[in-house]
Amino acid sequence: MPVPTSIDPLPRSGPPASHQPSQKLMTKAERRELQERQRASKLAQKSAPGGGASSTLVGAPATSITSKQKPPSTPSQKKFSGDVNGAGPRSAVPKDTNASASVAVDDGTSGRSVSRGLRIFSHFGLTKAVGHSIKGDIHPAIIRLGLLFSEFRICGANARCIATLTAFKNVIQDYTTPPHNTLSRHLMTHLSPQITHLVAARPMSVTMGNAIRQLKLEISGSDIDMIEQDAKDALCQKIDNYIRDRIIIADEVIQELAGKKINDGDVILTYARSSVVEKIILNAHEEGKRFSVIVVDSRPLLEGKALLKKLTNADPPIHCTYALLPAVPSLITEVTTVLLGAHSISSNGSVYSRAGTALVAMMAKGHSVPVMVCCETYKFSEGVMLDGFGKNELAPARFSKVPKNSQELTPTPFLEILNPLYDLTPSTCITAVVTEVGLIPPSSISSIPLALGKTTL
Amino acid sequence: MSESSSNQAATQSTSFDIYGTYQRILLNQEISPPLAAILALTELIENSPAGTMFELVTALNAGADAMKTKSSNPISLDAGCELFIAFVTLFPHDSVSFADLKTKLIRQGQQYADEALTYRRKIAELAVSFIKDGSVILTHSYSRVVMQTLLLAHERKRISVFVTEARPRGLGIKTAEALTAAGIPCNVILDSAVAYVMEKVDFVLVGSEAVVESGGLINAVGSNQIAIIAKAANKPFYALAESYKFHRLFPLSQYDLPNQNARIFSFPRPSPSRKPSISGSLSNPSSAIDSGSIEAAPTTITQEQISKNNPDVDYTRPDLISLVFSDVGSLTPEGVSQYLVGMFAG
Repeated sequence: MPVPTSIDPLPRSGPPASHQPSQKLMTKAERRELQERQRASKLAQKSAPGGGASSTLVGAPATSITSKQKPPSTPSQKKFSGDVNGAGPRSAVPKDTNASASVAVDDGTSGRSVSRGLRIFSHFGLTKAVGHSIKGDIHPAIIRLGLLFSEFRICGANARCIATLTAFKNVIQDYTTPPHNTLSRHLMTHLSPQITHLVAARPMSVTMGNAIRQLKLEISGSDIDMIEQDAKDALCQKIDNYIRDRIIIADEVIQELAGKKINDGDVILTYARSSVVEKIILNAHEEGKRFSVIVVDSRPLLEGKALLKKLTNADPPIHCTYALLPAVPSLITEVTTVLLGAHSISSNGSVYSRAGTALVAMMAKGHSVPVMVCCETYKFSEGVMLDGFGKNELAPARFSKVPKNSQELTPTPFLEILNPLYDLTPSTCITAVVTEVGLIPPSSISSIPLALGKTTL
Repeated sequence: MSESSSNQAATQSTSFDIYGTYQRILLNQEISPPLAAILALTELIENSPAGTMFELVTALNAGADAMKTKSSNPISLDAGCELFIAFVTLFPHDSVSFADLKTKLIRQGQQYADEALTYRRKIAELAVSFIKDGSVILTHSYSRVVMQTLLLAHERKRISVFVTEARPRGLGIKTAEALTAAGIPCNVILDSAVAYVMEKVDFVLVGSEAVVESGGLINAVGSNQIAIIAKAANKPFYALAESYKFHRLFPLSQYDLPNQNARIFSFPRPSPSRKPSISGSLSNPSSAIDSGSIEAAPTTITQEQISKNNPDVDYTRPDLISLVFSDVGSLTPEGVSQYLVGMFAG
């Protein structure tokens, strides 16, 4: 059995893969299978007179029919994965997909068979499967968090920032300063590999970056003469304060400010799911305002479904409409206010948020519907972003699953699947940014840190 | 706390009539609502029995609320109240006694009001440098700061002015009379003739009730449409605003202004006697015009009814405004919002 399979497919699978388009390859493969089956049966017939070999080869025709489909793919993957176009349609669906879902994409980047699409967007950085290779002294809480991040179980700028800071509290509590070192100097070197591990799981969010910068500042500023446990407690207290002041209380203020702009009979449109927007809507509803909500959503993450569930589970349920992005033009005329969340806001006032937000904001601007972006000041980033191409993140390939009854898309040399997670909404499309310091026009974002008396965010 | 503040308000209203004071101060032609509100609040401090800062701020807030609820147009008044209360809360507590602090506050308030009266002159100086010789200017309604600017411009340059009638109050006529008396060529135009006249105009100059955080403008109704027409005709739209009119408010739309009440542009329920003719008009509108009930309508709707159902002020978006001249400088709408953020967020 190994004789026909190991010799036959190689000369045959090589040339067709390099010369023929993939569509024909499929039919070629079927044809090849048929040929092999015929040859095997011939072989069996030939070898039948020779009694000794018959015991092994009699079963060959039967097994080859079932097992033929796999063997050609395995050798081709082994031998051709580095070659031009070696990753054919068969090798693109390797057997070990379940081991790590992003292998299909990784194959594409390792081989030269990368389509043009990904070559342009390769700087976005692909999320690699983590958890299997842990370098250095990583705290279990961080390993757990890294897995949650890479699996998108913890998603959203606020949730990720809170989770990171909470995990760091554990790390700090379990840390002991080695002899001949001081906490204020050594703790940061202990934290850096933890941060590196988290970034390897998923690129760092702006919120995490701002919070970590603040934490570094606090660590370096902690008193050398303090008892270690006291210093650690003080740091944990500072982290708690940061979460409370910059996120939780800020959210409450934003709820109140944005809630004032929601009136009875309004139609609020929101895109995907933002924790702040969810709170604003639920809060305004609790205050007795009666309005309806349009939740616009888009593949691949379909986060709006979770929001929809929350809103319709309110008591009494909020009147909701669920629509996908292509339906926005027909719905926008009904809308009184657009409420959006943000991943971060750059100092020129452009909003970096879930991919699709820009489309919704531009559509609203085109119909003169006010667009309010709800965003805490700790999400402000000092940089200036001009478009969504300079910096972005790609959704892992496993999120590009299609609905059951439509055609399955798998990456091939001629087809790459691109799922950027974020886009950039220009400040001209935004009416107001709701922050805990008030409603401000996007053009004045840059003056906020100065007004708060801070040189850093 | 809410109970105590209401008690405060009750005691205030018996001992000191803040709205009456406000009205009395407003009788002075030179003083605009925000300044009058500040002066009324200083008088409130004078008459207040408050013994602590907290009590004083509560009393001030109650006084501001009392004025706002009584006033028909609370926006610019609110800007003054907000400014003064923010000033009081941030005032350094280095006085020997609280009574001393109160006198200090009163003096500061009055000093500010005196100083604020010079702001219009400053603004006029700034704006005049933007007015070229032989300019044709369109202005709206009546504004003290616009008047001062135009009169100053007349001293140095040749200008001619179109002024809108500004229904329902007809304040444009007041402007026209004052300008004609000063010898400035002036023409009163209908509010509906703004688009017609815009071609001949070099720029638009308006005053303001309040300048809001978005960089937009709240002014006598009609300003918004003038701004839209000016934008369409690519003519500059300048607003003049004293810095005490800067207001921490962010209207998202016309209907998001604090002066909103249900009667503005609410559709009246048709009276039962007129119902048949309206339902009949659905099939044939021309017959409804012929019918007697509609013909009678013009005589039943009075000017008072129309003005009652219409707003006093409207909101002009920041992207329609070229520049805002104020005593802190000539600002772009973005600059206004940055100034406001810096003033209140700090």
